[in-house]
Amino acid sequence: MPTLTIDNQQVTVPDGNTVFEAAEQLGIVVPHFCYHHALGAVGACRMCAVTVVEGSMPGMKMSCMTPAEEGMVVETGTAQAEGFREHVGEWLMTNHPHDCPVCDEGGECQLQEMTIASGHGLRNYRGNKRTYQNQDLGPYVAQEMNRCIQCYRCVRTYQDYCGGRDFGAMGSRQRVFFGRFRDGMLESDFSGNIVDVCPTGVLTDKTFRFKTRLWDLEQAPSICPHCSLGCATVPGGRYRELQRVVSGVNLQTNGHFICDRGRFGSGYVNHPARPRHARAGGSRVSVTDAVDSLLRRISETVSQHGPEAVAMVGSGRASLEANLLLRQWAAELNCPPPVFELHPRRARAIRQTVGTLSDHLASLRQVRKSDLVVVFGADPLAEAPMLALALRQVVRAGGRVVVLDPRPVELPCEFEHHPLTQEKILCLLAGNCEKELFNRLLQDLMAARRPVLVGGGDLLGGVGLQLLGHLTESCDNDDRYCLVHPLLPQANSFGAGLLEGPEQTDLLERLESGRVRALICLESDPCSEHPEAGRMQLAISRLDYLAVFDYLPTHATKRADLLLPTTTPVEGDGVFINNEGRMQAFARVLQPGVPLAVTGQGNHPPREFVPATPGCHPRPAWQLLQQVLGDERTLHGLRQAAAEHESRLEGLSDLQPGGEGLRVMPSSQAPVEESTVEIWSQDGDLRLLPVQVRYGSDHASCLSDKLTPRMTGPQLIVHPQEAEKRQLKAGETVLLKTAQGTFRFPLACDERVVRGRVIVPCLPGTPLEILVPGGLSLPCEIEGEAP
Amino acid sequence: MAELLTAEQIDQFRAHIAHIEHPRELIIDLLRAVQDKHGWVPDEGVELVAGLLGLTPLEVEEIATFYYKIYRRPVGRYPIHICDSICCWSRGGEALAEHLQKSLDIAPGETSADGLFTLLPTCCLGVCGRAPAMMIGRESYGPLNNEDVDRVLAELRQEAQA
Repeated sequence: MPTLTIDNQQVTVPDGNTVFEAAEQLGIVVPHFCYHHALGAVGACRMCAVTVVEGSMPGMKMSCMTPAEEGMVVETGTAQAEGFREHVGEWLMTNHPHDCPVCDEGGECQLQEMTIASGHGLRNYRGNKRTYQNQDLGPYVAQEMNRCIQCYRCVRTYQDYCGGRDFGAMGSRQRVFFGRFRDGMLESDFSGNIVDVCPTGVLTDKTFRFKTRLWDLEQAPSICPHCSLGCATVPGGRYRELQRVVSGVNLQTNGHFICDRGRFGSGYVNHPARPRHARAGGSRVSVTDAVDSLLRRISETVSQHGPEAVAMVGSGRASLEANLLLRQWAAELNCPPPVFELHPRRARAIRQTVGTLSDHLASLRQVRKSDLVVVFGADPLAEAPMLALALRQVVRAGGRVVVLDPRPVELPCEFEHHPLTQEKILCLLAGNCEKELFNRLLQDLMAARRPVLVGGGDLLGGVGLQLLGHLTESCDNDDRYCLVHPLLPQANSFGAGLLEGPEQTDLLERLESGRVRALICLESDPCSEHPEAGRMQLAISRLDYLAVFDYLPTHATKRADLLLPTTTPVEGDGVFINNEGRMQAFARVLQPGVPLAVTGQGNHPPREFVPATPGCHPRPAWQLLQQVLGDERTLHGLRQAAAEHESRLEGLSDLQPGGEGLRVMPSSQAPVEESTVEIWSQDGDLRLLPVQVRYGSDHASCLSDKLTPRMTGPQLIVHPQEAEKRQLKAGETVLLKTAQGTFRFPLACDERVVRGRVIVPCLPGTPLEILVPGGLSLPCEIEGEAP
Repeated sequence: MAELLTAEQIDQFRAHIAHIEHPRELIIDLLRAVQDKHGWVPDEGVELVAGLLGLTPLEVEEIATFYYKIYRRPVGRYPIHICDSICCWSRGGEALAEHLQKSLDIAPGETSADGLFTLLPTCCLGVCGRAPAMMIGRESYGPLNNEDVDRVLAELRQEAQA
């Protein structure tokens, strides 16, 4: 821990830190380009020159390449260093065009800032500037190579950090070009990050081009709703349209980057089919009338049929506050507590995570720092893309990644894949089969210094995560824990799970039998989330009363007797709890409303003088529920009360949007042991495994037009030998017969798929939506189409 | 398109690749083999090399475009690299380059009308002791005066006719 003096201020920094980082800690920004917190220093741009006055090597030095030493004295403002930096600024600008007025980066351009910081103002260079022909890098990233200053950040991000192999640096000297071998869409699932890291306008967000200047953009720190990792994002919008999402910084979770699903998957906010008006009995009503009618109908139901006739469904999509208020309402009505996850098997996975695993949970940062990660039943790129990036960092640092999964798992790094069926993985965890592999893994885990187990909640279920919990405990030793990183279905699944009362798996039966007359859904859609979607649809259509609070157009909102439109996470404040139990607050970015681009249809907005903004009716679900409950507390008061009431939520009211968040307290209850061990041996059969895919499986990304180019259509994936056995060929259309119906889809073959399984993507909004992820494999058969 | 590598060459490379830990290290050998056979490396050549080594075309292109002496565009039969660095310059390299341009009737980067010569100014060839110097194929020539250059060009023209 050396202590050094920079510009007459003393600072103590950890060993191995550079002078640059020490200055940063003091709040002194040394002008720089190639240094980036996530990418490290390469000493390429020569911009961060400082003068070492006292130290083992005095003189002018690049601060990002100079280790901090005990007793070192550094000055950043000497004439020599300032003059040097000014010249660096000048030669970086020799080839840079003076097109700032038409450049999309204007206002958030590091080159602008650093050129000014370097002191270079007047160009002396009068010669020709180097020009390039640009490439078409696909629908997400626009390229304007003439602006390039060759800092190599894009390649260091795309190739080194993210593991992409189709974008790189070509040529040398004045001819250096950053691009692809040929025109075409960038293949990496993390491609958008090169836009964030490019310090100038070479790589810009094509979907955001020429829409808004930074200073006109409404932005606020938010949490990505697309999976359970809870990555920090900064969405930006204008004219009531969410226009872009960039990565936020949270070193505990995503670090500096986000995936393309989170970045380009926000179209659901602007979706034309979003519910915008409160509706009661088929006609538009005001929010106040809707709430009154809701209260009246529910109290009628309670007085006629008793409180048991009212059921409530919360969700992992709704904020912690809204779910809390829903539970409060249920308690006040004395009706059964809400079900917070409709899929019973998913609910058990969440229950295990919230309970048994809660003292062994690993943050994404801890995953990145691990030296051995064993992934049980998870496809990171599909279920939690940023986990795939964390696994790459493990491998880059010399660690090892082992994946046990039936799917053709791909990762942006080298890893060991053991194709095993879901049942085999559970059986292995129980110590009943694949003993050789299990023992080998156990030995490696015991020997590892920072082992982490990743468990896919969808494949493992509650039992699997429980067994995983036993495995972590047996791998603990005196020096360290063996941590676990479970993947959950939704952004706030953990938060919803925390509020869950005793297990309820009989909601469907209660609906079918008519015991439940009125159902209240909070940002959840039973018809597409319950594993028996067909039965659920029928049961719901027979209800006396369905009240829905939602911001997405779903089966439930279509069918609702009462609809209260809510706001998306970018239009309201709230808290999500991610898969490692980290409470994170998000702030409102935009006021809800129909985008001006829609109301104006590309022209001047309509000249109607009305006091209300078109489509402004959606309100945060917690506000609506407060109105229902006659609760007038502020959001802060609500959080304070929750933290006092629930000891595990300690610190909830201190959360700040954009911060690192706070872990919930570990569960103090005795571990939940599940009575039934759901392990089957289904070998020899052909069984169907519906799974999430990278794009279009979650309810938000399937409504995002921007992601269309990345979406793959429905297809069945089998091992080539299974196809051969049935005389089927890859590419041909086959019939898939299941208890849920018969489907026709193209067949794909992949040697990485486990034998005996048909992998099918879950795609809401397609005929396949009847298949819901999170269950066990289902009996099925595939055959060729009859000639 | 003419054959980029013979079947025999491909087999030899395959056998070699199977035996080494980092096939990547053969990028230049393969590119040079394609260039020796084809005169320059077309896009298909980059893709062929990438396929053999299990790399993406981009990963091969990064190397191919870094090196001046891997030609990614058609060149004459004898690409002439004339040094434009300090030692050769101080010993008359500039005049020598001018003489080459005049006698071949081409500007730097162009190919002579007969398709034999392409003139490529290049940085130090590493033969400063023999400045001013140039390099044709894998052979370097120097110290050179105008007459030496004329003689070399005449010899190569003769060789091309034979």
